[in-house]
Amino acid sequence: MNQIADNTRICTMTLDGDDVKFCEGETIYEVAERHSKEVPTLCYDPRLEAFGACRLCVVEVEGIRNPVASCTTKATEGMIVRTKNDTLDKHRTTLLEMVASENRNNTVDELAGYASQELGNLLKRYPVLPGRFAGKKSGNSNTDDLNPFILRDYDNCISCYRCVRVCAEQEGDHAINVMNRGFDTQITTEFGNDLRDSSCTFCGQCVATCPTGALTDKKAIRAKDTPGEVKKTRSVCIYCGVGCSIDILTKGDRVVGIQPAMDGPANEGALCVKGQYAFDFVHHPDRLTKPLIRQKDGTFREAEWDEALQKAAEGFLKVREKHGNHATYGIASGRAPHEAAYSMQKFIRAGYGTNYIDNCSRA
Amino acid sequence: MTDQEIIEHWQDQDAPLLPVLHAIHDRDDYLSDDAIRVVSKGLRIPLAELFATVTFYHHFSRSKPGKSAPRVCTGNVCCLNGGKEILESLKSEDATPMPCSGRCDDMVPVLRGDQVFVGATAETLEHRPSPLPAPNPGNIDECIFRHIRAPKRHTLPGYQATGGYGGLKSAVASTPAALIDLITESKLAGRGGAGFPTGVKWKAVADAPGDPKSIVCNADEGEPGCFKDRAIMEHDPHALIEGMVLAAYATGSQRGFIYLRYEYPEIQGILQTAIDEANTANILGDNILGKDGFNFHLRIIRGAGAYICGEEGSLLNSMEGKHPFPRNRPPFPVTHGFEDLPTVVNNVETLASASQISRKGAEWYRRLGLDDHAGTKVISLSGDIQRPGNYEVPFGLPLQTLLNDWAGGPLEGRTIQAVTMAGLSGGFLAGDDLQVTLDEPCIRSNGSFLGAGGIIVLDDRRDMVSAAHEAMSFFAHESCGKCFPCRIGTQRLTERLNDGANLEFAAWQDEINDIGSVMKATSACGLGMAAPLVTESLLRYFPDAIEQHLSHPK
Repeated sequence: MNQIADNTRICTMTLDGDDVKFCEGETIYEVAERHSKEVPTLCYDPRLEAFGACRLCVVEVEGIRNPVASCTTKATEGMIVRTKNDTLDKHRTTLLEMVASENRNNTVDELAGYASQELGNLLKRYPVLPGRFAGKKSGNSNTDDLNPFILRDYDNCISCYRCVRVCAEQEGDHAINVMNRGFDTQITTEFGNDLRDSSCTFCGQCVATCPTGALTDKKAIRAKDTPGEVKKTRSVCIYCGVGCSIDILTKGDRVVGIQPAMDGPANEGALCVKGQYAFDFVHHPDRLTKPLIRQKDGTFREAEWDEALQKAAEGFLKVREKHGNHATYGIASGRAPHEAAYSMQKFIRAGYGTNYIDNCSRA
Repeated sequence: MTDQEIIEHWQDQDAPLLPVLHAIHDRDDYLSDDAIRVVSKGLRIPLAELFATVTFYHHFSRSKPGKSAPRVCTGNVCCLNGGKEILESLKSEDATPMPCSGRCDDMVPVLRGDQVFVGATAETLEHRPSPLPAPNPGNIDECIFRHIRAPKRHTLPGYQATGGYGGLKSAVASTPAALIDLITESKLAGRGGAGFPTGVKWKAVADAPGDPKSIVCNADEGEPGCFKDRAIMEHDPHALIEGMVLAAYATGSQRGFIYLRYEYPEIQGILQTAIDEANTANILGDNILGKDGFNFHLRIIRGAGAYICGEEGSLLNSMEGKHPFPRNRPPFPVTHGFEDLPTVVNNVETLASASQISRKGAEWYRRLGLDDHAGTKVISLSGDIQRPGNYEVPFGLPLQTLLNDWAGGPLEGRTIQAVTMAGLSGGFLAGDDLQVTLDEPCIRSNGSFLGAGGIIVLDDRRDMVSAAHEAMSFFAHESCGKCFPCRIGTQRLTERLNDGANLEFAAWQDEINDIGSVMKATSACGLGMAAPLVTESLLRYFPDAIEQHLSHPK
């Protein structure tokens, strides 16, 4: 919970029979979430303005005839709320059966994206009868959008509009929106163009928030059939100084994808196109694995580390003797790990006694 | 005018998007990609958002022939009376269908550009004014239609001849609080269907902090089988204007908007003429009727074809140029309405009633109703009935009196099988429930509601499952697509009414009930909550017809 400002009013409400405290301005959902009520949602992303579309989060409030969407309803002093009972469970199950009925595929690989398992998990959590409410499927797949990053398989879209909202509210790109209405709604760019012809920056935020895998990480999903479990390793993006937290996805000894860390203090789930997708160099066949020494004719020859280091040290020393400490300017690579970047600045600062050190992706 | 001139004309005015789009749509016959790009830039609306919003509205064309191509009403009444045949005959002119366009008492309407033609066949289409309400068959004291049949009623002198704007003059001589008290005492309530007490709404806006406040008249009469607001605006436009000025005085509002449905193009001209007259007579404008500081400016915003824009949150979003999804409530428009400022959103009939009440008093109005009911309601009656039309009834009038004594009963040799309520939103009433009286408590106790007052009569020739299917198709077509229960539910109910989805009766009933109950309980607005009343009432009154339908699907 965030720190409470001094002037915030603390109120009390009854949540499933227990008196609980909350800060004025909080929604019922936020209070329920804090008390681990596990109220189901599909259109909710805590970073976005509450939208109230999926209606799974409805709760009963004493004195109000119909259940209310807890994500859009503010808690008020003395409110008596029930987050779970047979009626609510029945509504949620029916809603989930309805959602399942419009999709062609409710099981997607976890590599599709950060939130891609949300619908699948809810379908397992509630006693959903497969095949109920059979009928027309919604969505119109746009898998021929030839960008290298984002697969747009709207056959699996449930029109929660999280992608549209994250693009507008978090990124400010407004690249996509909702076309048509009713069952024919469709996520689209302007005039239905491909993403690369729109104002999309390929930050991948839409993929990360998609609860069904309708938007899929094209690069990560390549490793779908690679054997092994997906392992997540928390790290910090190497590319710039913001320090976005990321989870590096690996299968075996291979990096297969990157996901933004929703709890990253600097980025809160945001990433840019580089942090999200630019990791191919790690396993690229052109990557140098041995030091090379430039010969007199300009060509390179492979060498052992001892020789290469000796050669480099001689070169650096020569420059310092001839031109002084400030004649050297180090630029660390954006593709180097943080430890290497640290060593580099230590070498320049402590070794040379100069502050002429920078990183290539500071621009 | 060039794109740039159009944008420059509107960009500093309130609610510029729809007027700009209409100006270009009128000029070019469609909205080209280039035009959308220019508007996006000029009004600073992200391109994808603007493009998506344009696609939301039924009547904006994105290719030629667009606006000029005929649009034929295939609404629930018209499709029983030749609408589909006319559409077929006009296919060579690129005719397209449109949902109920509010001419169910004078069919079939065909929109050509900005003119409504009507006729029973494509060959007999003619352009003519919409019908006046017939003289009250019950000889009751009327409120709304009291003077509507007087000659030249739509002109300012015609309106003033029977005391028009007299109520406003006396209201302005007193305090806004006194006016609010008067309206509250009259027990006038929202006649668009929600029935919220008008005086309470006006007081809430008067008390709410924030300026400028607005009066928005909801004239987006989109409910199939409802055409009462059309009659009021076409024949008695000043009654509406007086009601809006009264509301402005009561609440301290400076801005007024009439959100008029696209399908009433002639009425835009009639209203604009009346507004111009009122401006000249200092009934609108600054220092109205000499009252220092009482300023109120009124404009018409033309809709573009979306039933959901009759929902007040969608209407406000539409005016603001946003995607017309309903808004989450609370907050309500009385505190966070147009541009998040305090706003009265009232139906045409409500505002026109207020004009009469300001003249004749609260007690007079209350006593117009029968028994304990206060006031009157205009019912739009259509379908299989001798004399369709608008009837002003006292609340509490038996439905049978309206159907048989006032409107001449069923067609020759026919019997009435069922009626719809609230246009389509209230589902059907049939059997013994046709003995209801026309007031909310009675109709609600029968599982329906009176709503905006549209009643469509279906006689014994009609296939009730088909009628229900037509009704549900309308809701599916008009569902905005925001909340899951309505977006998926209206679609699934339509399918089940169409081919039965290969279900046995028990399973069919089980699915219908589950979808219906989740829609009623969890939908985000009235559309999704009301739509399942169609299937619910079908199951209640016509289970045999459903069994028959399931054993012999289309």
